[in-house]
Amino acid sequence: MLHYTLRRLLAMIPTLLVISALVFAIIQAPPGDYLESYIAELQAAGETVDEEKIAFLRHEYGLDLPLHEQYWVWLSGMLQGDFGYSFEHNLPVSEIIGDRLLLTVALSIATILFTWAVAFPIGIYSATHQYSWGDYGLTLLGFIGLATPNFLLALVMLYFANVWFGISIGGLVDPALIDAPWSWEKIRSVLAHLWIPVIVIGTAGTAAMIRRLRANLLDELQKQYVITARAKGLPPGKLMRKYPLRMAMNFFVADIGNLLPQVISGAEIVAVVLSLPTTGPMLLGALQSQDMYLAGAFLMFLALLTVLGVLVSDLLLAALDPRIRLGGGAGR
Amino acid sequence: MNRLRCAALAALVSTGCGGALAAQPIETPSLAPRVAAGELPPVAERLPRLPLLTALPRDGWRPGRHGGDLRLLMAKAKDIRQLSIYGYARLLGYDEQLALRADLLAGYSVRGGREFTLRLRPGHRWSDGQPFTSEDFRFYWEHIANDAELSPGGPDKKLLVEGRPPQVEFPDAHTVIYRWHKPNPYFLTAMAAPRPLFIYRPAHYLRTLHKAFATDLYGFANEIIKADARNWISRFHNLDRPYKASNPERPTLQPWVNTTPGPSEHFVFTRNPYYHRVDANGRQLPYIDRVTIDIASNKLIPAKAGAGEADLQARYLRFDNYTFLKQAESRSGYRVHLWRSAKGAHLALYPNLNTADPAWRELLREADFRRALSLAIDRYEINQVVYFGLVDTGNNTVREACPLYQPEYRQRWTDFDLARANRLLDGLGLSRRDARGVRLLGDGRPLEITVQTAGESTEQTDVLALIHDSWLRAGIKLYVAPSVREVFRNRIFSGEAQMAIWGGLENGMPTADSSPEELAPSNKYQYQWPQWGSYVASGGAAGEAPDLPAARRLVALHDAWREAPDKAGRAAAWRQMLQIHSSELFTIGIVSGVLVPVVVKQRLRNVPEQGLYNFEPGAYFGIYRPDTFWFDDGDGGGDS
Repeated sequence: MLHYTLRRLLAMIPTLLVISALVFAIIQAPPGDYLESYIAELQAAGETVDEEKIAFLRHEYGLDLPLHEQYWVWLSGMLQGDFGYSFEHNLPVSEIIGDRLLLTVALSIATILFTWAVAFPIGIYSATHQYSWGDYGLTLLGFIGLATPNFLLALVMLYFANVWFGISIGGLVDPALIDAPWSWEKIRSVLAHLWIPVIVIGTAGTAAMIRRLRANLLDELQKQYVITARAKGLPPGKLMRKYPLRMAMNFFVADIGNLLPQVISGAEIVAVVLSLPTTGPMLLGALQSQDMYLAGAFLMFLALLTVLGVLVSDLLLAALDPRIRLGGGAGR
Repeated sequence: MNRLRCAALAALVSTGCGGALAAQPIETPSLAPRVAAGELPPVAERLPRLPLLTALPRDGWRPGRHGGDLRLLMAKAKDIRQLSIYGYARLLGYDEQLALRADLLAGYSVRGGREFTLRLRPGHRWSDGQPFTSEDFRFYWEHIANDAELSPGGPDKKLLVEGRPPQVEFPDAHTVIYRWHKPNPYFLTAMAAPRPLFIYRPAHYLRTLHKAFATDLYGFANEIIKADARNWISRFHNLDRPYKASNPERPTLQPWVNTTPGPSEHFVFTRNPYYHRVDANGRQLPYIDRVTIDIASNKLIPAKAGAGEADLQARYLRFDNYTFLKQAESRSGYRVHLWRSAKGAHLALYPNLNTADPAWRELLREADFRRALSLAIDRYEINQVVYFGLVDTGNNTVREACPLYQPEYRQRWTDFDLARANRLLDGLGLSRRDARGVRLLGDGRPLEITVQTAGESTEQTDVLALIHDSWLRAGIKLYVAPSVREVFRNRIFSGEAQMAIWGGLENGMPTADSSPEELAPSNKYQYQWPQWGSYVASGGAAGEAPDLPAARRLVALHDAWREAPDKAGRAAAWRQMLQIHSSELFTIGIVSGVLVPVVVKQRLRNVPEQGLYNFEPGAYFGIYRPDTFWFDDGDGGGDS
């Protein structure tokens, strides 16, 4: 087990290096650089562009260096914990990202809990009452959630939340409280705003969760040990909790690998539509304006978290399920 | 009585001399506790000895009351620079009639267009209470504009005439003189611009950031490392951003001062206790205590404005939001005004005279071809279909309210006249057609024009779809190629693009003193002649020399404007340039005067119902003086 963990950890290094090269290539792929988008923005606002100033900035920002040198500057900086400088915000990247993480994590955890709270009872009910009206009805509900475009649902809910409940549009907290220190009032305001994105992002995830839980449970429910337990007179609730449900949880652990990056990226489109102060809109903005260090730092974070998440879920699975082989292909 | 007094005041203000206070200055209620605690001097000592007495000669304008928060919505943290525009405290600025008036300056005089004497207000202070004097001008000139490290390219181009800098003198603490060897017509307008040339900087603050003034070099270097800056230059530039208002510690002369360091979703600007304007009742401006800016995604801003979350909003609202905004008017307690944009054209076609294909280049350079394209556009139909008939149509030229305007500039070659367009095209030897009825070029290729769009609005593609139909009746096939802005521009620069669609002249309300550079090849970002513009801007180092007689004539007229000794000479150059444009149609204007919805809280006073919503000139709300906007609490007070 220790050997396995070590090997997995070492394999992460080349993986991350390859990812960093890919991230850099993707950020550089669109034509132009940050200053090109900056010029375009100035012009759209009717402001004049001074060529000399642009040349000066290009030199200041190091954008006149050859690509491989820019990559090296970025990579070596990151290894020393320096994520570079955001052109757009005129601040070191680390200072910008930090502020947004807390709300992103809060939103993501709330969304995950919401998804579980809805999906678990429905999934179990659908599996135990397969092909009943209840199964069809609840599954349909889940699919409606999956099929409704998130951004549309978000806009509609925003509008009615404002008209009916007077909740300010967009954001996670009332504008008047944004800079206020944390207090009960502020927490209440966050909770009043949080439910819209939670429902919007959550509805999309529930259907998938319901279907996976239902399928896994159905597999188990057919098995002989369940029939035996039932024949021996175990109460249905205890039987379910103690045997097939636990067996059906493998997919759930495997899912943790996906959860971590979700926590950071925080459902970008919805966040952009709802104007949430999470990391998603900032990543999108950074990509649009080709603010390369900010975008690069985000993408590297996502990559790192994905790699870590996969590692954690693999280790957990190996610990939980003795049937999983650590040898990698030896048994096939 | 009140009206009389306003008129008298207006006369006083317009002489630019300021004048004595009409009444004892009244302390601002929100600042009174700080004055009582001894943190601030009383208002009489905060105002300059010659404050600018402000009374606007506009119907419905009246002096107001102190207090209140003005809420604005912006899409990006960078947008807080809008407050430097709305605040519009400039050395001199435009008034509502677009005439130049001294503002921060007590007065100025010009001799022969080449010697400018600026007189400051004695006792004028920065927002931190330090005096604003000629020293601040000297600091900029000697230690920023002429510092080899801070300004590697030397002083700003607008401060150079034929590449030569001015002689600058500082005879006393309140006088600054700029003297060139030839007239510099850019100088005054550069200072009045929404993004002005800041030729004054807070010397007392910036000295601590400047290498030349660092006594303890070791400590100075440490500061730079602590600030995570690349070098002292980038730290200096970062902390000295007069336009971006991003550094709360930097003193300013604007009516409101930023107090929030970024990054944030919520910025608060508070009143500048040393602002130089005062109303007739002795109240120091601005009336409004705080301006708060909330950052929201630009797609949400119309919805938020409709929910009453902004007190004054026009940015990020478009004409197609009007019905939604109007519907929520009474529910959310605001009014929606429609202001007009002052661009020369809201949309114009740019035939690329530097396109790479020789056959096309030759054709696009034929004035008759461009005229035929213009005659074959049904502007009336576009106005009715896309803009409900509410906008103006015609060429890309100055607007009606501009003193240089002639009806002919806007109307020439803009009637929808297919027969005449067809005759012009036949006259160019394009009479052969293929089976679709599309004309053929001399080499047998069909006359198919691809119009590049920056792909940002469906409005452009809607308009192009209508043009497509009418052009087809003249035997021209139109294709639309949407892309993104960077690609769009590169296609034009490289000559790959035949034609592009974009907004028209930025300054549709020029006076003879405004620069006519948009009309002549002068920079690379002119989509009708990027190579010629690049050639002129670089002094011949890049691009191609303009080889069309009319274009050469425009360059010559631009030079003539620059060197004209008087206003009449400059007006003559302007008229000839506009004349050439209306006859040559280097750009083909489609519609202009598009309306912008402006959401104004019901209690907010002194915001005009009709106005110009424009960047330059106009500074958006700037020329209507937001420092005189005020909140009426319903007791009708304010005049007392």
